[in-house]
Amino acid sequence: MLKLKSNVAISESGFVFDAGTGDSFSLNATGLEIVQLIQAGKDFPEILKILSEKYEVDPESFERYYYDFVATLKQMNLFVHHGEE
Amino acid sequence: MSKLTFERPIIQRINAGLPSKYGMPRRLEPLSQIDGVSIESLLQEFGSPLFILSEQTIRKTYREAYRAFSSRYPKVQFSWSYKTNYLNAVCNIFHQEGAWAEVVSGFEFQKALANGVPGELIIFNGPDKSREDLKMAIQHQSLIHIDHFDELYDVIHLSKEMEERPKVAIRVNLDTGIYPLWDRFGFNFENGEAGDALTRIMSSERLDLVGLHTHIGTYMLSTDAYRIAATKLASLAVKLERKYGHLIQYIDMGGGFASKNTLKGAYYPGTDTAPSFDDFAEAITSALMSSDIKPDHLPMLILETGRALIDDAGYLAGTVLATKRLSDGRRATIIDAGVNLLFTSFWYDHDIRPVAPVSDQSEDTTIFGPLCMNIDVIRSNMMFPLLKKGDRFVVRRVGAYNMTQWMQFITFRPTVILLDKEGKPHVIRKKESLETFNSQELTPDHLKDFDL
Ligand SMILES: Cc1ncc(COP(=O)(O)O)c(C=O)c1O
Repeated sequence: MLKLKSNVAISESGFVFDAGTGDSFSLNATGLEIVQLIQAGKDFPEILKILSEKYEVDPESFERYYYDFVATLKQMNLFVHHGEE
Repeated sequence: MSKLTFERPIIQRINAGLPSKYGMPRRLEPLSQIDGVSIESLLQEFGSPLFILSEQTIRKTYREAYRAFSSRYPKVQFSWSYKTNYLNAVCNIFHQEGAWAEVVSGFEFQKALANGVPGELIIFNGPDKSREDLKMAIQHQSLIHIDHFDELYDVIHLSKEMEERPKVAIRVNLDTGIYPLWDRFGFNFENGEAGDALTRIMSSERLDLVGLHTHIGTYMLSTDAYRIAATKLASLAVKLERKYGHLIQYIDMGGGFASKNTLKGAYYPGTDTAPSFDDFAEAITSALMSSDIKPDHLPMLILETGRALIDDAGYLAGTVLATKRLSDGRRATIIDAGVNLLFTSFWYDHDIRPVAPVSDQSEDTTIFGPLCMNIDVIRSNMMFPLLKKGDRFVVRRVGAYNMTQWMQFITFRPTVILLDKEGKPHVIRKKESLETFNSQELTPDHLKDFDL
């Protein structure tokens, strides 16, 4: 399961600060919602259900954007690697 | 309750305020039009990928270059370097503007003749001139630039055989302070070889020595190198006059001016580093005017500028085939034009842009062509917006060398169009087809059939 690193802080406005590296990032509104759902322990099917009820988006496009987004978060080193922490 | 519109989720690293290597962070502006014509509509009409040339830009660039030299020197002549781009339509724009032809092979020579360039206005350069080529050049009274002694003796023999008086110049290579030294072509100045070649020509009494030529390199950023080269050629001209009372008609400074493309690994973009035509003109003409050549004997100044005259006028537009992530997490965008069409991507960090405005999010991206080989990299890493399959891109400044050095591989070379001064598109080279290739092939009878 995806888990954000414990030293990553996320504000209500989508500002992300990684205290471990000093890097900061900014999320758009959809990005923030998804990150909050991941933080709450939701998996992809649940996130898809929640967001497709709220937004006009077909499941296939959402899936593509979701996995691309998650891969970007991973590349930015915001998730805990397996076996860490 | 109606649903909200969905916006693709994005996260961006915040480094605003931190200067990048080019100063403040820049957003990659889309480029949707060329000379007011929509790139998208051209792709729809002529297919993807597509080379697009702007006649307006070619003429404007040529006139700028001509003005820079002719406002400083009494007799200036450009000669279009065919190898840079020998599509007939392109050559003829330069010929309409007044440029002669500069060719380096029998094929290019015949192309220039077929375009209607008078033989005596064709400069024949290069180390590979066959006897047949030389004969053709002598018959047409063309300007033969001799590259080495073997060729010099060939021309002397032919002059006897044909009872003609060939018009010749020698190509001189010289030390301009630029490393590596381009000493492969022509006769060396510093070791006296160039002087020996001139002596040999004068003493043969069979050849008409009309000029001195040098081509000091390509993508030259140093105007000083041209000043040095012009000074050295002028000194040879002075010697010829002193020793033989012989006046040459021209000094040909070759090509080599840098275009505004950015060399791979360069710290600053080419738009900031390439000297202007005025800078090159000042260096060359002031060297000639301040030499010991008598003012009323100043020879014509010939320039064989290639890339700097045509790079800006050429574009390669196309379509994104796919995006993916590489194993190290970097983004890869795969486009429908590979290094076989964009040979210059081996030298340049090409300026590549989306055609339509897309997301503000940029990522470190590698741009690959569609060939099944790992050298097919158009840009190895650049900040590029997230494009998706079907989105269009355009590469700027591809007018030089690509449409002559392109290779056919696994698919056809694409259509080339020219936008005329009114923005009307003209196909100037058709996309190849299966017939193009099959018409060149012969299958032996015993290989015509098979049973599977
Ligand atoms: C003899 C000669 N003249 C002119 C040119 C054109 O050079 P550039 O495109 O660098 O201006 C070349 C190119 O290699 C050349 O070999």
